[in-house]
Parts: sequence; C-alpha cells; structure tokens
Amino acid sequence: MTVVIGFEGSANKIGIGIIRDGEVLSNPRRTYITPPGQGFLPSETARHHRAVVLTVLQEALQQAGLTPADIDCVAYTKGPGMGAPLLTLALVARTVAQLWGRPLVGVNHCIGHVEMGRLITQAHNPTVLYVSGGNTQVIAYSERRYRIFGETIDIAVGNCLDRFARVIKISNDPSPGYNIEQMAKRGSRYVELPYTVKGMDVSFSGILSFIEEAANKMLASAECSAEDLCFSLQETLFSMLVEITERAMAHCGSQEVLIVGGVGCNLRLQEMMGVMCKERGAKLFATDERFCIDNGAMIAQAGWEMFRSGQVTELHDSWITQRYEAPPTQIIPRCHDQTTIYSRGQQPFQHAVPV
Amino acid sequence: MELEKNMVVSEFLSKGSVLKQGAEARVYRDVFLGRSTIIKERFPKKYRHPLLDEKLTHRRTVQEVRSIQRCRRAGIPTPVVYFVDYTSHCIFLEDIVDSVTVRDHIAATRQRSHPSPTLVPLEPLAARVGRVLARMHDEDVVHGDLTTSNMLLRRSGDGEAELSLVLIDFGLSYISALPEDKGVDLYVLEKAFLSTHPNTEPLFQKLLESYAASSKKSSAVIKKLDEVRLRGRKRSMVG
Amino acid sequence: MHSSHPLELFPGRTVTLMLFKCVRNPAELRRSAMGGQITAALINPRMLVDPFQVIVAANKAVHLQTIGKMKTRSLNSEIIFNLSPTNNISEAFKRFGISDADDSVLVVLVATGDESQTLADIKEKVDGEQVPMEELPTLSDVTQIRKLYKVTPQEEKMGGLLDSVVCKMATKDVM
Repeated sequence: MTVVIGFEGSANKIGIGIIRDGEVLSNPRRTYITPPGQGFLPSETARHHRAVVLTVLQEALQQAGLTPADIDCVAYTKGPGMGAPLLTLALVARTVAQLWGRPLVGVNHCIGHVEMGRLITQAHNPTVLYVSGGNTQVIAYSERRYRIFGETIDIAVGNCLDRFARVIKISNDPSPGYNIEQMAKRGSRYVELPYTVKGMDVSFSGILSFIEEAANKMLASAECSAEDLCFSLQETLFSMLVEITERAMAHCGSQEVLIVGGVGCNLRLQEMMGVMCKERGAKLFATDERFCIDNGAMIAQAGWEMFRSGQVTELHDSWITQRYEAPPTQIIPRCHDQTTIYSRGQQPFQHAVPV
Repeated sequence: MELEKNMVVSEFLSKGSVLKQGAEARVYRDVFLGRSTIIKERFPKKYRHPLLDEKLTHRRTVQEVRSIQRCRRAGIPTPVVYFVDYTSHCIFLEDIVDSVTVRDHIAATRQRSHPSPTLVPLEPLAARVGRVLARMHDEDVVHGDLTTSNMLLRRSGDGEAELSLVLIDFGLSYISALPEDKGVDLYVLEKAFLSTHPNTEPLFQKLLESYAASSKKSSAVIKKLDEVRLRGRKRSMVG
Repeated sequence: MHSSHPLELFPGRTVTLMLFKCVRNPAELRRSAMGGQITAALINPRMLVDPFQVIVAANKAVHLQTIGKMKTRSLNSEIIFNLSPTNNISEAFKRFGISDADDSVLVVLVATGDESQTLADIKEKVDGEQVPMEELPTLSDVTQIRKLYKVTPQEEKMGGLLDSVVCKMATKDVM
C-alpha cells in the first residue's frame, strides 16, 4: 500500500488530498473568492493560501484518519500556474517532506487533471479535453506520450468566461463559470458571436473583445438579456471545443473522450460533448466538480503513479514554473510509461529517512 | 418542402459507402454522372445551436467551393468540383484515384527505413509541400486545417518524382492577405505535423525553408509564425 | 446514335444527347424550341469540350427544378444557363443557344422513362446529318472556350480543359 499526499495551489483554489492506491481518502479545498468585477491577483491569492494551508492540511489528515507517519510520499504542483500561490504550496510541501522524512514529487498540473480523470472514470485511452481558467488543450496519447493536438492560440476558455463575468459583474461566488452556467439555463435568444476554429486549435480573444465591446451596449438597449448573453457565449465557446475534440478524435481514430479541468464540470459542455460522442459511436467520460476543479487528490494521484514508477524530486530540484516549457511540440509523458524514460539511476525511497 | 429538398441527395447517399466521418462531414465514394466521385456531406451537428449550425455549415460549404476554384485557377492542384447542393450541404468532388495521404506516405517511408531512421528520403516531399503552400498563400487562400491528412500524393507518372501534391478539405479555409492568418495557418500545420509524426523537426524545418524561399511575402508570414509560437508559451494563467 | 446518361441523384431520369451537323433549318428549330414543339435544349456545340460538360449542367438544372430554385423559366433553358461561366442569362443564351446562322446542334433531352418517341419526333424535325457523339471535339472551338471560361494555362496544365470548364460551371454561384 502506498499513501501519497498532494498539495495543489496553482490558481485561486487551494487543495490537499490523500490517495491510497487509487482510493481518495480525503480531498478538502478552499477557494479564494474576489468581489464581482474583479479577478484574483497572484500576491493576494498567495496570501489567502498561506492563511488557510495549515487548516486544510489538518483537515486532510483528519478526514483520512491518518497521521504523518502513514504518508509515503509528498506530491506538489510544480506548475504551470501563478508563481506566488505555486510557491506557497511548494514551500509547505517541502517543509512537511523534510519534517516527516518523506520523498518529494513535483507534479505537472495538467497531468494531475488527466490522471485523476482516468482514475475516476476508468477511461482507457481517451482523447482528453482539458479546459480550465488557464488551459484549453486537446490531448491524446500517441507513441508513448501524451501529445497536444489542439489548444487555444490565445486565452484559455475559462479565462474568457471569467473575464466576461467581470464585464457584466456576475458574482465570483462560488465561481464565475458556475454562475454563467446557471444564468445560461434561463437564456433563450441566441446572439451571434465570432466563431474561430483553426484546425484543431481555437481562438477566444476575438469573442472576448467582441463581447467586452458589445455586452453592456446590448444590455442597455434591451436587445438581449444578461442570461441570453451567457447562453450565447456558452453555446459558441462549447461548440468550438466540441468541434476541435471531434477533429482530434477523427485524426487519431479515438473512440473515447475525457473532459477534465474546472470548465469540464459544466453540464452543458458535457451534454454537447455527449451528443457528439453518440453521433460517432464514441464514449464520454466526465467527472463532477470534486475532481474537475483543481484539487489536491489529483496531484496525489499523479504523484502516486510517478512515485510507484520510481520518480522522486530532489530537494534542490523542487522548483516551480509558471509557464509551459517548450511549445509547440509540447510533450506530456504518461506517468506509468515514464519508467524507461526518466527513472534511470533513480531509486524509489531515495530520500526516505527512517522515522 | 425542406424535407423533400433534402431527400434526393440523402437517399442517394444512403446507398453509398461512407469512407470516413470527419469532424464536420461524412465522406462517401460513389459513381456520379458516370465518374467515381467523392461526396462530402456536412450533416447537421445536433450538439450545436441550430442557428449556429446552419450558419457554419453553409459558410463552410461556400468557402470550400470558393477556395478550391481559386487554387485551381492558380494551378494549385485541388479536386474538381462537379456539383454543389447548398440545401443538403453536399459537395461532389473529383475522386483523386491512385493516391495516398502525405500522412500515410511519411509513416510508410519511415517504417521502411526503420532500423536506421533517416528523414533524408522525405526531404524532397517536405520541400514540395512548402512550395505548394507558399503558392497557395500567395493567392491569399488560408487553408485553416492544414494537416498531412489533408494533402494527397497522386501518381502522375512513374516513380516518386512524378507524385503530384493535391490539397483537400478546404472547409475551414478563407481568403485573407494578412500575414497573421498565414502564420497561424503554418502554426496549425506545424503542431499537427509534429504531433502526428514525432521526431520530424528537421523535416518541418525543411518545409519552412522551402516555403520561405518560394513565397514572395514569406518574411512577414514567418515573423508572425514566430510570434504565434511565442504566444502559446507566454500564455498567462493570471485570472 | 444518341447517347444516354442516367442521373444518379434522380432515379429514372436520363439525359439523352443527339449531335447533328450540316443543319439547314436552325431558325425553324430555334422557333420550335421556344414555342414548345421541341421539348429539348438545343445547344451550339462550339463551346462544348465533352458531353460530360452537358450532363453536369443537366444534373444541376434538374436539381434546381426539384428544389424550386431555377434562375430561368424552363428546365431546358436552365441547362443552357448552367453551361455558362457567368450568371448573366442573356449572355448564356448568346453563347450556348443556337443561332439562325449555326449549322450544327446538340440536342439535350432530360426524360423520365421511355423517350424513344420524343427522340424520333425531334430527329424528324432536324434537317441535318446526325453524327456520333465522338465527333463533338471536331465541332468545338478550343480557343474560344479557353477565353470564355477564362481558363489559365497553369489551370489547364493541371487537369485538362474539361476539368477546368466543369469546375468553373459548378462553382459560379459563389464566385
């Protein structure tokens, strides 16, 4: 049995989760919520995370019914994400790893989402749509690597939704995306918005600047309601996402789709993706907000896989990164296939100090 | 009436064989007016709002037809359009017989050279693709979905040198003179190319060099390509 | 000596072509076609590369008739219009219809079921010599065709004149 604790704090959620061989023992989370019309800034978000991190850690251990002695490995988000919040969680992870004498594993945030999605849904070899505030990617597994087939060429879909919410002052509690989803249910008039798909890539900046420019004018002239705008924005953005997912599936000959990331718990997106899948005889896998939205368990799960395949992160190597490494040929290795690629010379428990 | 309109073609297609179902169309092969023909049917996508669906479907059918004719006029090989049904959004196209996709050709060539992997035999092809794309962009046609699956190699004589390159699938294409649009076109190809054919960076570099040497306006386009690449890297996570 | 081509989209419908040269009564034929005594399209073969060109035009005409979107008043005039590279109707008739000075004519008949009687009737009316379809190229004016359809040399080099002409006909609505 291997027990891994995961620390996540790459954006405005802070989560700490504990996984024991595929079983989620605990997964508490807090969200830094800003007033309507405002986004979250790195330093303030980090301050929020610092204030609650020890409480959340205690909750994670208590809910799991474990003590530090039961933990085999400490995983943390290495990036990508916002620098200051990432650093806060990395610092805590490094500290407890040394206090408890346990090895550290730095996890790529994207892989966390994908591996958690696969664990929860038992999807076998899906085309993955990863959609959140910072990411929009279509990922498929080919030749022993996750490869990015499609992505946004400018802003992320969640970022587009969040910034639209600010334009018309939609509440950030519990999240702008959730509130847009609820309002969209009451919208009915379809307002035409720019639709920009380039092969397997998408662009959202044109839609955002259009709606930033037009929204308040349209609302003032009663041309449409805020609900109609939410509805139209969702219909447009999600159609683009389903289209590039389907294009990647056709390209790779894939028959499974997995949606992960914060925007992935939007039921309308799941519904549209489901219709597309049904049309092609494919299968859709999605999770709910517990695992779609950034959380600690996903970092623990990816960390568990890496740890089991012999990968650990040396203390002096436990940095964080805000950015992607090397587009456009970005490669994300699938954890359990990494063994032959990365584990040379590395032994499990390299850092383990007897307690 | 609307129903009746669409009956004719759909009844015909129901007897044909589906070659593939892409992201936005079903592709059939059948005999039409005595010729072997590829029929591309943009059927309604039920996940999309009906208004959006109708608009996109119509626009893409029109754009595809337009870009094909524009390319052909410039001597860039694309399939002949025989007939277009704008009510059922079907395009009837020349069947490029005796052809393989560039994707399959690259895969097969690499397979053959397997024990000692080399990209050298594929360099002339990469250069040719670069030249054809340069000509297409010089005509202000932006393809919108460049992949190695959307390029066919047709045997037009004996031997490899006689393979001619045919561009297909212009559904996402449009007319634009902006270097930005052409740069993104190459960016889309670069990503599709390198994710479909891992470890072929030198080959794609060859393609770009040939593009740059062939197009009159290439320097602005390549500059934009570099910009777009960088944009991906610098994407902010800050909410 | 006529040739018949099924329209696959419209089961039961066929396009039948008859080619005549040394025609001595073009004016009379034209009047009969306009008056409805001849229920076929009469086409000047000078601008035709190949029978396929006519079949493509006929298929499109039947399609537009079916959906009620013809640009001209009858199926036969629609066939003539569809042959033209432009959307100018009178121009199309000038180029592709027969004039009183012509001495060859291509008869195009779109029929459902047995058309032998109609064919016999039309043959009766033409005072000329029926020749096999294979002779069509001897009657076409390739230079004029290139000019009319604005076929570029690089385009023709790619797939031949017929492909260029047909593609221009099929795409003219959106160009």
